[in-house]
Amino acid sequence: MPYFTLPDLGEGLQEAEIVEWHVNEGDSVKVDDLLLSVETAKAIVDIPSPRDGIIGSLFVRNGDLIHTGEPLLAFAGDEGTGSQTVVGNLESQDDSDNQDHFVIGAVTEGHHFGGATPAIRALAQHLGVNLEQLRGSGPNGSITFEDVQQNANLKHSHGDSTPLKGVARSMAKTMASAGQQVVPVSLFDQTSIRHWAAHTDITLRLIQAIVAGCQAEPALNAWFDGNTLSMRVVEKIDLGIAVDTPDGLFVPVLRDVGNRKPDDLREGLDRLRHDVRNRKIPAKELQGATLTLSNFGTLGGRFATPVVVPPQVAIVGAGKRFIQPGINNGALFEDVQLPLSLTFDHRALNGGQAARFLAALLADLSAPPM
Amino acid sequence: MHNAQQRPQHALPLNLVEAINRALFQAMSDDHRVVLLGEDIATNGGVFRATEGLKAHFGFRRVMDTPLAENLIAGLSVGMASQGLKPVAEIQFMGFIYAALEQLISHAARLRHRTRGRLSCPLVIRAPFGGGIHAPEHHSESTEALFAHVPGLRVVIPSSPARAYGLLRAAISCPDPVLFLEPKRLYRLQRLPVDLDDVPLPLDRCFTLRPGEDITLVSWGAMIHETLAAADHLAQAGIKAEVIDVATLNPLDRDTLVASVSKTGRAVIVHEAPFTGGFGAEIAATLASDALMQLRAPVTRVTGYDTPMPYFAMEREYMPSVERIVEAAKQQMEY
Repeated sequence: MPYFTLPDLGEGLQEAEIVEWHVNEGDSVKVDDLLLSVETAKAIVDIPSPRDGIIGSLFVRNGDLIHTGEPLLAFAGDEGTGSQTVVGNLESQDDSDNQDHFVIGAVTEGHHFGGATPAIRALAQHLGVNLEQLRGSGPNGSITFEDVQQNANLKHSHGDSTPLKGVARSMAKTMASAGQQVVPVSLFDQTSIRHWAAHTDITLRLIQAIVAGCQAEPALNAWFDGNTLSMRVVEKIDLGIAVDTPDGLFVPVLRDVGNRKPDDLREGLDRLRHDVRNRKIPAKELQGATLTLSNFGTLGGRFATPVVVPPQVAIVGAGKRFIQPGINNGALFEDVQLPLSLTFDHRALNGGQAARFLAALLADLSAPPM
Repeated sequence: MHNAQQRPQHALPLNLVEAINRALFQAMSDDHRVVLLGEDIATNGGVFRATEGLKAHFGFRRVMDTPLAENLIAGLSVGMASQGLKPVAEIQFMGFIYAALEQLISHAARLRHRTRGRLSCPLVIRAPFGGGIHAPEHHSESTEALFAHVPGLRVVIPSSPARAYGLLRAAISCPDPVLFLEPKRLYRLQRLPVDLDDVPLPLDRCFTLRPGEDITLVSWGAMIHETLAAADHLAQAGIKAEVIDVATLNPLDRDTLVASVSKTGRAVIVHEAPFTGGFGAEIAATLASDALMQLRAPVTRVTGYDTPMPYFAMEREYMPSVERIVEAAKQQMEY
């Protein structure tokens, strides 16, 4: 305690006279060192120091009269509070964290949500409407009562709307972006494959036909940059193969199809399909195609206008083979036709290039089996 | 001025009252017009030792012991300030300031307005305020709301040694009157880094002590200590609380408060002053009008009760505790 007061000297004695100080201000004392002598009605009493310390201020002088509990002296350097009762107990603590970081003003990242009053939020919650999906028509883009009501009515009459996720979401974004950039033109044709052996691997023949087409017209295996209007014709053919799965459309890439043997290609194809179906395909296997094949004929349909996805400039679509009558030297026969579609980006390619590519592709398909 | 990533280069570890002492010393060294007055501040260095050593250094003409008369202290300060001095007067406890209200409200706060700018009143009144130190009656006041209501009078409340240093220096340089309330419970609580060379802090901005996304906790003075502790508790429960130190009640930095609550959508305001008419109400009203669209939950206040500050035994019940703040925050997360 900062003040040392006159202790109870016993025997009901309330007051004493200061006889002699034995210390001066500034002296260093240890516990029990003699501080001063006082005289009571009965005797002279020596008063020892209650603690170690340095004498600060002496409050009474020799000859003064003092009562029990009144201050005699203060010790120095004791976080000096004046009068302890008035000033109270000031705590101090050794804190583990000796930091004091602060920023003037607010800490914000950009703000997006238009907002809604609490009343409207409550209504939305009651009606099961997700505010994050709404566009507000109120002041500053805030969501109004009508916005919520309309959304709730729609939900009631036509069911819930769920945001696209995962593969479906990326397909939506990719197609939207392609649609904004590409100028698509499609060419359709068909060719007889009656002469093909019974269990011909159609995909493999299509791949080989595409290689033949690229040899005739290398420009279809290229990357086009719509911003700089520049074209990069690629020698290596990395063919994207469209694969339909319950999770959605994937287009893994079969690398360097022009320089691989048929068995190797078949093995590669199977592995890609397997990995896609098991959702084990790494992201980089889905990137970097220079040309794409969509063999939708395995499912159905003859001709289509498949979508060119930048930076590619073309995509080949193969439909389901169909039977049609053929004539040879006046005689009818049962012919098998394979329908083919080619979509190209008219920013990068012209009709002549596309037609020549398709002709070479068809010629290869018509060639006798290997 | 600090950003959250910077550490001060020449930082001394000081507690809050030491920081005040250094700020006074620095201000008096820089400007010979700065003078100090108050009860027991000169010879004794102040009951909290805030002015220790200053009389010895600057002399009795600049560091003055006054009689026990608060209206005298305030009136003298108004006179000195209007005539070219920069008085920094100490009111020994905020509980004694009421006799000075007349001088502060009717004169100090209006001098510039009354004289159309011919005279101004660059005084600072320093007063320890707030409770939690087991002191007797009148020694635990927290009536900052009365003063924040007065146009022309700034009310500034530091909550750390560094902010005490920066804000006091700014207050002394300010050409208009400042009431500088020092949370006495924090006086010796912690030594924290104070950069003595740093530029003074602004007298019209809030400080973000800790960033967060889920809820904003707003406070000032000694309650910042509990508010930060509550933020720690909430962090353990996965709730990221942003902590804002208002620091200057008047003029109030509404932009920072609205920006923060627009981000988090929730606000709890903490002050030890009584509930009704406390300054938390001003902040709550601001949020309701300017941040309504982003609010996800009602703005709540965790405050002292509408009674005088009780004596020692009940003091702990009165002051907002970490538990009360955490509870209020968790309730808001239910919405």
